[in-house]
Amino acid sequence: MGTRARVVQMETPAATGGNALLILVGLGVAFLLITALLGAAKSAEPLYNESNLLYVALIFYAGAGALYMGFGVTGVTRYVKFASLATAIGFTANTLAVAHRWYLAGRPPFASIYEMLLSFVWTVAGLTLITEKKLGVKIIGSITMPLAVVCVILMQLLPSEVRPLVPALQSTWLHVHVTLAMLSYAACAVSFALAMMFLIKDHFPTETFLALTSALVSAIYVAVVATRFEKWGGLSVTAWDAKEKSDIFLGRGVRLFVTVPDLGWLFVMAAVAALVPLVFWLLARVRKNDLYYGLANKAVFIGVLLQTVVLAAFVVRVRDASYASPFQEGLYPTALAASPFILGGLVTGVFASLLYLMLLWRRSDLEALLPSADTLDRVTYKTICVAFPLLTGMIAAGAYWANRTWGSYWSWDPKETWAAITWLVYAGYLHMRVTRGWRGRRAAYFAILGFGVVIFTFLGVTYLLPGLHAYA
Amino acid sequence: MVADMLSIPKQIYKTLSNLRTGIVLLLLVVIASALGTFILQRPTTDLQKMQAAYSPQTLRLLDRLTLTDIFHAWWFLSLLGLLSLSIVLVSIDRFPNSWRFYARPYRRTDSHFRAALPTKVELPVKDGAEAINAAQRALKKLRWPVERITDSGQTSLYAERHRFSVMAVYVIHASLLLIFAGGIIDGLFGYSGFLMLQPGQTGNVIATRTGENKALPFSIKCYAAGQENYADGSPRKWWSKLAVVQDGKEVQSKEIVVNDPLVYRGLRFYQASFGPTGKVDGLQVMATASGGAARELTLRMDTPAQLDPDTTVTLSQFIPDFFIRDNQVFKRSDDMVNPAFRLEVKKAGSGEAATQWLFPAYDKMSQGKDAGYHFEYREMKMGYFTGLEVSHEPGQWLVWAGCLLMGAGLFVAFYMVHMRLWIVAVPDSTGRLVLWIGGQSNKNKDRFQQKFDDVVEGIRAELGRALIAPRSAQQKEESAELTLVSAK
Repeated sequence: MGTRARVVQMETPAATGGNALLILVGLGVAFLLITALLGAAKSAEPLYNESNLLYVALIFYAGAGALYMGFGVTGVTRYVKFASLATAIGFTANTLAVAHRWYLAGRPPFASIYEMLLSFVWTVAGLTLITEKKLGVKIIGSITMPLAVVCVILMQLLPSEVRPLVPALQSTWLHVHVTLAMLSYAACAVSFALAMMFLIKDHFPTETFLALTSALVSAIYVAVVATRFEKWGGLSVTAWDAKEKSDIFLGRGVRLFVTVPDLGWLFVMAAVAALVPLVFWLLARVRKNDLYYGLANKAVFIGVLLQTVVLAAFVVRVRDASYASPFQEGLYPTALAASPFILGGLVTGVFASLLYLMLLWRRSDLEALLPSADTLDRVTYKTICVAFPLLTGMIAAGAYWANRTWGSYWSWDPKETWAAITWLVYAGYLHMRVTRGWRGRRAAYFAILGFGVVIFTFLGVTYLLPGLHAYA
Repeated sequence: MVADMLSIPKQIYKTLSNLRTGIVLLLLVVIASALGTFILQRPTTDLQKMQAAYSPQTLRLLDRLTLTDIFHAWWFLSLLGLLSLSIVLVSIDRFPNSWRFYARPYRRTDSHFRAALPTKVELPVKDGAEAINAAQRALKKLRWPVERITDSGQTSLYAERHRFSVMAVYVIHASLLLIFAGGIIDGLFGYSGFLMLQPGQTGNVIATRTGENKALPFSIKCYAAGQENYADGSPRKWWSKLAVVQDGKEVQSKEIVVNDPLVYRGLRFYQASFGPTGKVDGLQVMATASGGAARELTLRMDTPAQLDPDTTVTLSQFIPDFFIRDNQVFKRSDDMVNPAFRLEVKKAGSGEAATQWLFPAYDKMSQGKDAGYHFEYREMKMGYFTGLEVSHEPGQWLVWAGCLLMGAGLFVAFYMVHMRLWIVAVPDSTGRLVLWIGGQSNKNKDRFQQKFDDVVEGIRAELGRALIAPRSAQQKEESAELTLVSAK
């Protein structure tokens, strides 16, 4: 009797704290759903349509991401269970969105970057659920859900009309090639998440995570500042024609830029704030004094707050306003849709910093939730064993299709070349593992590098390097 | 000292058949390919763009360093060649061992092997021969192919699955070499070009990528070509009705669309594009004589049409966008904005022709020197051409064969595990008779552990059955037969 009373007593405090975030997230989700419902009802459009469903998926993915983060802050294991549930609901909404678009367009969603992201997010969410259930890695969602949220946010900004297929895309091989691409990229994304989990479980030093996260965030802000900072502190963004739903062009391939005043200073501040932890980390290593790590972590926390402010400022000022351009007289409008990459970079920076803080505050809880390092290492390998044949199939199908459409199966087009590079990198991983017995850390680094190459092949080539592959 | 020095060929062989060299070569290929995507490449970029992107000095430097055509540069091709050679040599270096492993499996165990093998179980048994038989039945039930091995009076069992998977890696690398071979053949013997045909035209000269013209041994005739659009005006389909003309006879015809080419004698004709030639195909006018008689005519460029027994009219000039200065008509641009047509009416006998102009954007009626006829604009048909991409790729079949082979090889390599079981009845360390069951797999060890446990359970069950169940007449016969064999 006495023991039972004690047990009950011990549980209650934890339970109240544990419910707080759940209630908060639950309320937030409900609020967003109700406002979305009201908004949709007002617009007299049918409720069951693709963009509404996608928005619902976004809400639930964001809720799942928040719960994973919440676990990171409080260490309450129940959040992970509910996060998994939220992921499942979001996945269902996502599936319905895909189905609706398929039905409307009369073909699977593979023909534009919007549709590719839709398929990609669906696959990532699906693989997250599979990895959680079948492979027992319960918190893989903490990495894949933020990725899904970033992708869905990007999608909200991209032109989403169902466009009829240009002649070159009217082929069954399109479906084969793109399906293989989506499956293989998603498998690579999962292997990336697993490799990160491995590093966490394998006692990869938190300080090194600090350095890498700060480096990533600094790189994002420094890149934006270097390319878009205008004299006197403005930030130059692309102008947007809301009627045509496209960037405003001055000439062939030359976009019109407008200057948002003072926003540039905010970005500079954020860049500096992102570099500060890196500097402290260097000092800690050079002076061999661990106290600097504490300062660095505080700087990361302040940095996250500043990043959120910058993100909010960017959204508010760029969303729907007109600014002057240094190239042409007059005021020109801009919109978030005109700067998907800056927005994507900002959101990625925030997520990366939050994930780092989660690691910093709850590392031991995280490690308790993960299977053994050896299991994670082996599962990463198994995931790549699934991804690699899919990658091979994607390249082969793409080559065969190119041969039928353009008369040449390999023309060293940047996308083709980078797909081959991705293939070679993962082939390198397999070689190193099978022949040289590379396991553990080195294998994890390779897997992470591989995913970086996948991201470049998927997004970097499309937007940074022009070529035949202009569709996606 | 002398013994340490290897001859040069041997040293080269040793370096190239080293896995590390292969990885280094791979890395160099990756870096070179990446460079080829960051630096504009000449074959795929038009001259203007290149000159706009790089200053003349930079461009000269890049050209000198062959960085503007990396994928056809001698050093890149040599890298690929060395990589292929490295694959071949590494495979040759490792093949003998793998073949020995494959061709002569290790069937019998000795005490050292049994002691060293990590995955093993020992089940105490009374009768060695019985136990072996029970184990064989159990394995058969679990669908393992089992082999009985007898030597020096002792019977042991050897079961294995998917031995072939150890060869999979060679299949994969061989397929890679096949693909490279296909690419080399196409690089040496393949060619591609462009053929532009107007409906009704026959052509056999293609303009190759390198700029020269190549005459084909047969001709392609285009009967008709067209474009279909979606509701919003974007192109939906381009099609051409083509026929192959060999020695004056039509041997094949096909209507091609994008993604569905015409194939003849190893040459493929792809629907690549469709567009206006910018020239007038036909101008439809209503010609009214001063007397009142009117007739409709379709005029072709520079082709006189008969108006009456004495008079002809010829369409002699077409300007897509005109302007007038000093009473003369000039061309402003090539965009179809303000078209102008010049018609020349000639009377038999008089040497001069009277010029009439048609400016359809302003006035449907023609104007100009009085020639006894007036022309009213009806319609104009622009000329179109169909753009065909022509390619000859003799090596592509090797490439596809290589892809399929690689698919099979990857499947075998990743999803077929080589598993082996050895079962023998021997005394254990204490002298007791046990049935020793050992197993090994070349990968996926955790799944194999499961399978091994299943086998052990199955054998245990069989042993139990053999002990508990009364021996049926058939069983007696079986065991008698088997004992006879082992006694041999």
